[in-house]
Parts: sequence; C-alpha cells; structure tokens
Amino acid sequence: MTVEKNKAREPRILIFACKWCGLIGADGAGRNKVSLPLNFRVIPVECVAFVEPDAIIRALASGIDGVVVMGCHVGGCRFNNANHVAIKRLELLGDLLDATGIGRDRLMVSFGTAHEDYQFADVIRKYVDRIAQLTTLEPWVMPRAKKY
Amino acid sequence: MLEETKNMVQQMLEEKRADGILGLMKGQWNIIQPHIFSNREELECLVLEPKWHLAKMAMKILRTLPPDYRLAVICRGCDERAIFELIKRNQIEKEKILTIGIACSYEQASVCLCQRPYPTKLDVGEACSGVDPFDDERVRDLLVGDDRERMERWVKVLKRCIKCYGCRNSCPICICEPCKLEDEVWVRKGSIPAEMIAFHLIRAFHLSDTCVACGACQEACPVGIPLMLLQLSMRKSLQEKYDYEAGIDVEKKSPVLSDFLDEPEKDRDIPAWVNSLREDDGS
Repeated sequence: MTVEKNKAREPRILIFACKWCGLIGADGAGRNKVSLPLNFRVIPVECVAFVEPDAIIRALASGIDGVVVMGCHVGGCRFNNANHVAIKRLELLGDLLDATGIGRDRLMVSFGTAHEDYQFADVIRKYVDRIAQLTTLEPWVMPRAKKY
Repeated sequence: MLEETKNMVQQMLEEKRADGILGLMKGQWNIIQPHIFSNREELECLVLEPKWHLAKMAMKILRTLPPDYRLAVICRGCDERAIFELIKRNQIEKEKILTIGIACSYEQASVCLCQRPYPTKLDVGEACSGVDPFDDERVRDLLVGDDRERMERWVKVLKRCIKCYGCRNSCPICICEPCKLEDEVWVRKGSIPAEMIAFHLIRAFHLSDTCVACGACQEACPVGIPLMLLQLSMRKSLQEKYDYEAGIDVEKKSPVLSDFLDEPEKDRDIPAWVNSLREDDGS
C-alpha cells in the first residue's frame, strides 16, 4: 500500500450557524438526506453577534481553510438588530484579511440564505468549490510543537 | 514655536489653569525625557522634539495623582487623538486633562505617514497637509496587488517577530486587563516567532476602530515590522463607509457599536446585504 502524500488536502470549513436560521437549514439537510460535501463542521450559536472575530482568526490560525458565518436575514434578527453589528464587525475583519493577503474570501458571511435544506446545501457546495480554487494558507500556519 | 509654547505654559501656570504640564525636558548630559513642569524655573529645559507618545503616560500619571489635580499635556495630533479615545473608554476624566496642541512639520508627517499631523485644538505652529499613506511605495508593496505575492511578503516580515509584546505595551489604546494575547486559548504559548495569524491579527483587530495611527507600535518594534500597515485598510474603510475617524471627536461613538438603522453605510441599502462574496446572491 502506498500513501499519497502529495495529494492535495480537502479544504476544511468551519460554520458558525445561528440557531434560528443556518442551523435549521443544516438540521433539515441532515434529516432529508441531502447530499453534501463532507468537509465541514457546524458550531451552533444563539446569534451571529456571539461570534467573535477573534474566534474566526483563531480558526484560520489553527489550519481551517474557510469560515462561514450564517445568520438571519438583515432586519429579521431576534435580538434587537444584533446581526447588523455583526455585519459591520465582520466586514472590518474582511478588510484586515484582505490587507494581509489572506483574502476576504476565506470568510463568508451570509445572511438569510440558508434557511431551507437545499439552500444550505447550495451555499456549502459553492463555498467548497470556491475555497478549493484559493491558494493554500500553509505558509501562515505554524506547525504545532512536538509533545514530549 | 518653542518660545510660543514656553509662553503659553508659563501663562497657564500663572493663571493656575493647570497644576502641572507634561512635556519633554532636556536634562543633564542632554538626555531628553518626559517631565512634569510645575514651576517657572524649569521651563528653560522644555523641548518639543523628538516625537514622544505621551498619552498613555498621561493616563498612568493621572491615576496616581489626587483627584483635583489638573494636568496639561503638550501633545501632537496623534497624542490628542489617543487622549480622546482614552476619554471615550473612561480611562481619563475629561475635566482633569487639558491639551496644548502643537503641529508637526511636513518632514515628520512623511516619516510617520500621517494623514492628520495636527490636533483639532491647535495652539502653536501651523497645520500642514497630511500624507496619503497609500502613495508610499513601502505601503503599496504590502497592501496593494496580488494576494499571493503579498502573503509571501507579509510572512517574511512577520517571521521576524520575537514576541516581545512591545507593540501591545507601547500602544496608547491597548489597555485591556487581562490581555487575550497572553491567553493560551487564543495564542499558543512557547513558540517563537509568535503565531502569525493569531497574534498579529487579533492584536490588529482589537484596535480596528480605535487605532489613531500614531505609529507607536512600529516604533517600539525591535525587529522593524511595519505594524501600522495592518490598520490602514480598516481605517480607510471606516472613513469611506461611515465617515468616521478615531479620535477626532470625543462625543462620536464608533459605528461598529451601532446598527444600520442608526448609522447606515454609505451607498448601500440594508436589503442588499445578503452575502459577503457579492457575486451571487444565492437566489
């Protein structure tokens, strides 16, 4: 048996899904057995305003290739327009990622686009394709120190 | 310019508007250091050069002084902006601090890549026009152009980091206690250089809407990383989208803290906001 070491790694994606929108889509996709790419993990959050930009930076630093933040549509937030604030913050983070050459495509912020199962699947498929086209983050990510 | 400042300081002390004035002193063996001037005889030693960030020092001094002490600070444009930001964050009481604003020369502004080399309350000197940082070649190398090439350049620059925390300690607005950069959860411990994405981007993002572009971080950096450039694009976009610049107005709050109804983005409706990739709306 030979192990192909040079084979390009599948992109790894982390999804922060708002409990009232993105998570419903993700749940539905699982229940209805929609075919999906397998390389993502979902972290449920109460509202997208809970997602600290620091957490996204931390995810990219630990070797995640792309982060998706899914929230309710703008104007439909259950917590006093908290997702407006999240948008402003994440847009700023996008500017920072652009400035360093990581590119704002690494972070997808999507509002009100993943409420149904097929919508969720669509968003994920498109995003996985997009991440696969980008260059690797390898030079940025520091290898973990050996444990003795 | 120096004489004018001396007269002004003297007047302030005589009228008892301020109990002490924080400025730079040329002392023994021509060593320049910060000093609080409280009587007339000391004023001969007052100097204005070189640029020295006094805002954080003023904050720390005010904490140790009695509550009715009023301090005046001889400050440049960046110092004044930093003081305003600290007032906004409740670190300095507005009544306790006075400023004597001095303008920077054009040479100084072009070294610092300063867009606003003058304070809003200008007392001494004449305001000269600022420099657009995006005209500079060093800046364009790292901020404009192909993503891949820039990534390589940034990695090369940031690999020099020795994790001395100088950028954080010298920054006039970095005041959090405890600091996330010392937390194992956010930045891995025990490796040099510091984790490039985690350490530098978390630090940069914490100052996204409060950075006053004083350049203290890159002046403090022992290995010469141009850290201020990380902030420039965020500052620019805040300026373009919301017409907001940190430290210009004491009353105006950062647009990041309010929603689109109170502080809308220019040239963009709310329903237009669906997807950050902008090419397809998922319809």
